[in-house]
Amino acid sequence: MPNTPLVQMRGITKRFGGVTALSNVDLDAYAGEVLAIVGDNGAGKSTLIKVLTGVYQPTEGEIFLAGEKVDFSSHADAIELGIDAVYQTLALADHLDPAANMFLGNELTRKVLGITMLDNKRMRTETERVLMERLGVRLKSLDAPTESLSGGQRQAVAIARAVYHEGLRVLVMDEPTAALGPQETARTLKLIKTLKAQGLAVILISHSLDDVFEVSDRIHVQRRGQCVGVVQASESNTQEVLGLIVGAEEAA
Amino acid sequence: MATAMANKSLSERLEPYVAIIGPMVMILAILLFMALAEPARYFRVTNLNLILLDAALYMPMAMAMTFVITQRGIDLSIGSIAALSGIIMAFLIKQYGFSVYVAVPIAIMLGATMGLINGLIITRFNVPDLIGTLAMDLVYRGFALVLAKGLVLARFPEFLTEIGRGQIPGFIPIPVIIGIATMIAGYILLTRTYFGRYTIAIGSNPEAAELTGISVNRHKVYAYVLMGACAALAGVMLTGKLNAIQATSAPYFNLHVIAAVVVGGTSLFGGRASMLGSFAGVLLLSMMINALVTLRIEFFWQSVASGVVIVSSVALYTWMQKKDRDGAGGMFAGLMTPDGQKMLRFSAALIGVLIALLAIGALFAGDPNPSG
Repeated sequence: MPNTPLVQMRGITKRFGGVTALSNVDLDAYAGEVLAIVGDNGAGKSTLIKVLTGVYQPTEGEIFLAGEKVDFSSHADAIELGIDAVYQTLALADHLDPAANMFLGNELTRKVLGITMLDNKRMRTETERVLMERLGVRLKSLDAPTESLSGGQRQAVAIARAVYHEGLRVLVMDEPTAALGPQETARTLKLIKTLKAQGLAVILISHSLDDVFEVSDRIHVQRRGQCVGVVQASESNTQEVLGLIVGAEEAA
Repeated sequence: MATAMANKSLSERLEPYVAIIGPMVMILAILLFMALAEPARYFRVTNLNLILLDAALYMPMAMAMTFVITQRGIDLSIGSIAALSGIIMAFLIKQYGFSVYVAVPIAIMLGATMGLINGLIITRFNVPDLIGTLAMDLVYRGFALVLAKGLVLARFPEFLTEIGRGQIPGFIPIPVIIGIATMIAGYILLTRTYFGRYTIAIGSNPEAAELTGISVNRHKVYAYVLMGACAALAGVMLTGKLNAIQATSAPYFNLHVIAAVVVGGTSLFGGRASMLGSFAGVLLLSMMINALVTLRIEFFWQSVASGVVIVSSVALYTWMQKKDRDGAGGMFAGLMTPDGQKMLRFSAALIGVLIALLAIGALFAGDPNPSG
């Protein structure tokens, strides 16, 4: 295991009114590693990453980024410190072209006669570059609206948007393969490996244990709001992880 | 992949351009029809000038409405905004002796303010845009009536009539230049600015827009402000064109402008904008109305024609949106399904009752009793 974790979440508890979604959860994620979070519905996976990405604030507990304690009051704070997420819905505007989507909310501009205008040309070339250099993806056409792309290509655009931020250190992916066919899934998993090789800490939420075992280094299992174990993917198997998810070992 | 591209049918490859092709085909159809029916009167230079002059009035509003509709909004108050800002401007000039060069910008700023009120009502009070602008339509129209009563304010300085109907000798009318300039400005706004980019994003996927940090509400307000300013500009142009204004002016602006934008391929469901389409839509409606006049069809039919054009073009675009057309089995296959049969019987019963009532009325009818 490489030295100190990039992300340390310690004793995270999150309550919504009387409901305890997370209780005393620890999570470690290392740079250059894929950490998978698995668990049944309602096990607290989504809440956990929403706490990490600043969407929710923890009721109790602390988050350390590269050893320093951080407090996120909003998602924007987390993005600034290099933690971003790719949502299951991808959050793409389907009528815009890929370049417009990649820079949505963060457009490149130039001055024309003192007036700020969008620099569509530069956004296009940048999109092409980022997709090629960081993700190894080439789109057939950058002019077509994003809705005409395949599921995997849309995913690539959404990931490109996250990785374009130079300071990105942690990328959270929520169910990236849920809506994809086998071929697109394979491509997306390859993208995840590419990102890992570039030294990012990738946190992957998935229901598909096959995908999890293919790409992840460690697997964090959530059950009923608690972390019931972290296993090394190479030393474990689907049976063991499934057992942890449903709590079979505990019952036995 | 390449073979798949080549195998695409012609209609599939044309589909992205339907927004432009649709109104263009209809324009061509009108031109062809008029070339057969009334070529001498329709294609006179003075008549073409008239068409452009009529279209120019709607161009600024169609430009702004393209933004509003692309954001999944609608503005039903533009006719009243045009009338109210026109009336106030007229009062300032006629009664308070304001210079026309100040009164015109004041009118446009007033329109922008009314748009701001619309926008704030929709975004701050969460009133649905349909209800909000419909209610504000009543409010603005009411204020116009309160101010002007039944008065017709007429005879304005030359600057105003130049805006409304001036002509550059040997060239096109001044309002047409204003109209086309606003359309071009709208195109640049749509493709090259934050406002245009976010307008499409908001209409396409409001949640995603919010997630990427776009201030959705602020950009909605901007669209309504633009809409108000453009409606006021149209009010100014209308005042100049007629050299008169009254509280009941501009009654058909709302639907006419919405029709032009929708016919031009901007989607009522948001996200799909076409500035060129809106331009073509405005031209199309003006040509159609002019054709009706040229054919000596009564003026009141133009409202019927506009309505039919809106319904048919929205139906057409919705059908084009629907990708899965297998199993539809032609136009009338729907009538053969059990549900279609029920609907058919229901409609038949309704019409049957109507016919029966008419028959009873005719049977027992007395002598005509003229009301006037």
